Amino acid sequence: MLLDFDRLGWLRYALCLVAVLVGLFLLLPILLIVALSFGSSQWLQFPPPAWTLKWYGQLFADPEWLTSFFVSLRIALTVMVLSTVIGLMASFGLTRGRFPGRELVRALFLTPMVLPVVVLAVALYALFLRIQLNGTFIGFVIAHLVVALPFAIISICNALERFDIAIEDAAIICGASPLEAKLRVTIPSIRLGVFGAAIFSFLASWDEVVIAIFMASPDLQTLPVRIFSTLRQDLSPVIAAVSSILVGFTAVLMLLAAFLRKDKPS
Amino acid sequence: MTTTPFLSIRGVAKRYGAVAAVEDVSLDIAEGEFVTFLGPSGSGKSTTLYVIAGFQGPSVGDVLLRGSSLLRVPSNKRNIGMVFQRYTLFPHLSIADNIAFPLKVRRRSKAEIDARVQAMLRLVRLERYAERMPAQLSGGQQQRVALARALAYDPPLLLMDEPLSALDKKLKEEIQFEIKRIHNETGVTILYVTHDQEEALRLSDRVALFNNGRIEQVGSGRDLYDAPATHFVAGFIGNSNFLPAKVASASGAAFEAVLPDGSRLPGLTGARLAGASLAGAGLKAGDDVAIMVRPERLTITRGDDMAAGLVPATVTATTFLGDVVHVLTRTSWGGEVSIRLPCDGFRGEPPQTADKVRLGWPAGAARIYSAP
Repeated sequence: MLLDFDRLGWLRYALCLVAVLVGLFLLLPILLIVALSFGSSQWLQFPPPAWTLKWYGQLFADPEWLTSFFVSLRIALTVMVLSTVIGLMASFGLTRGRFPGRELVRALFLTPMVLPVVVLAVALYALFLRIQLNGTFIGFVIAHLVVALPFAIISICNALERFDIAIEDAAIICGASPLEAKLRVTIPSIRLGVFGAAIFSFLASWDEVVIAIFMASPDLQTLPVRIFSTLRQDLSPVIAAVSSILVGFTAVLMLLAAFLRKDKPS
Repeated sequence: MTTTPFLSIRGVAKRYGAVAAVEDVSLDIAEGEFVTFLGPSGSGKSTTLYVIAGFQGPSVGDVLLRGSSLLRVPSNKRNIGMVFQRYTLFPHLSIADNIAFPLKVRRRSKAEIDARVQAMLRLVRLERYAERMPAQLSGGQQQRVALARALAYDPPLLLMDEPLSALDKKLKEEIQFEIKRIHNETGVTILYVTHDQEEALRLSDRVALFNNGRIEQVGSGRDLYDAPATHFVAGFIGNSNFLPAKVASASGAAFEAVLPDGSRLPGLTGARLAGASLAGAGLKAGDDVAIMVRPERLTITRGDDMAAGLVPATVTATTFLGDVVHVLTRTSWGGEVSIRLPCDGFRGEPPQTADKVRLGWPAGAARIYSAP
């Protein structure tokens, strides 16, 4: 390799230092929030004068926060299931199908990833106002599905492209119908890609805030939206507590995804 | 009385646009036979196998199993076993579950499945590996499991598409032996595709040699070696020397040919010599031909004794190989001719480099083909 780590000499230490600094820069704000959520200071004073769990107590005593938590969870889980199922079907079409304009269709599926989210949000808002989906659960799910689907398709397409189609042929010659072969052999074989699709689809909805702000109504607010709107009224350590829970949830899922990837490199 | 052949491939062709992968293949196969499709890559042998498996539809032609056409039957209903070139065990299932898969798909009872899986594991001698996962097995073991899986449902026909091409030579021979034994034990009809002629000769009852989407010749390995029907067969199977020549005169079944150096080869007669078909094809004076002699059929004589041999040549290399001596010679027109002599096949000292020799062959040892 051109840049062999072992041959870099003293540059190695510089490289490590830069890596650590970048990591700290990215992670410190998050760690700070988590620390503050356990601090006793009303004004988010750092370092905290004392440690406490009272903000978490306040949080769980407030039904509004809990409602938002479950709204987020319900939307994210629904998006996860739909995105994975639709992603599977789309990926089979994109990797196996031979039709004109296939690459165009693939690009179309992935555009939500590169489009500015706020543009997407305004467009969906305008559309949903017209068809009266604004502030509804279905509207939320559809809007988040647009953002989540590219993650599912990328993850499943990657797995399918690595999967040797001869294995599916073997299942068919063994007597399985083409659908049975996919359900019993192909999909179980690419299950890591499917799990990855599910996790990233969930997360794409779980911590999405821009579209959610447009979609939300007073009685349907996801957790990130409530954090955002509460933040504009007052700066309470309860927000740090909510944020910590949000981060914790995300971190667990990311670790799970990383673990699955490491478990089996195929 | 005409009997229905077990498997009948009739005029199968497969074209992709203007390119033909298979031109025109017809072959009848008897029940219990072991037939190998041999040929260089791109000769159409695998495509023909895929047509039989149903993964490809032929452009024209038909495939009949016990007299009824397979073409309208989807692959999963053909009840054919197949072992692929690549490893195709289901990666998420144990070895036992892989073998059980075709039986589960067929909704067999649990007791029957368990008994059958055990019997199959015994057949391929992998009883101890039942609970392992495919990734824990070597390539050779994986292909043996694939064989067990393909035979688990007792298919009348087993297709094998270069199943051993990824294995090293020693392992290959071991598994070839296994396949042969399993063929004897089960009596299943096997269609085997390979580009390895040694493998084809070792395994099969009959070999169909493919070239450019057609079968050049079908026969036992012995037929193909001793009586190659075409120039291609003669060149593909075993080692062969081709001497370019011109027909000087032809009358009936007798030819006289002239080599590039002017030496005359009179009395090229007899069906075995030339392939009777060539006489029928109207070989006439002036035609370019190639005379084929196997290296082990050539004789070598030192000196310029005209009576002793037909073709003058110069020795360029002699290699002692234990049981045989391999002699490489060059003719006066620059053609290389190789000769394999048993160690007692010459009197006195073996030929040395730069020796002038004359090459000959016993009656019936040469065959003649139109020049390609």
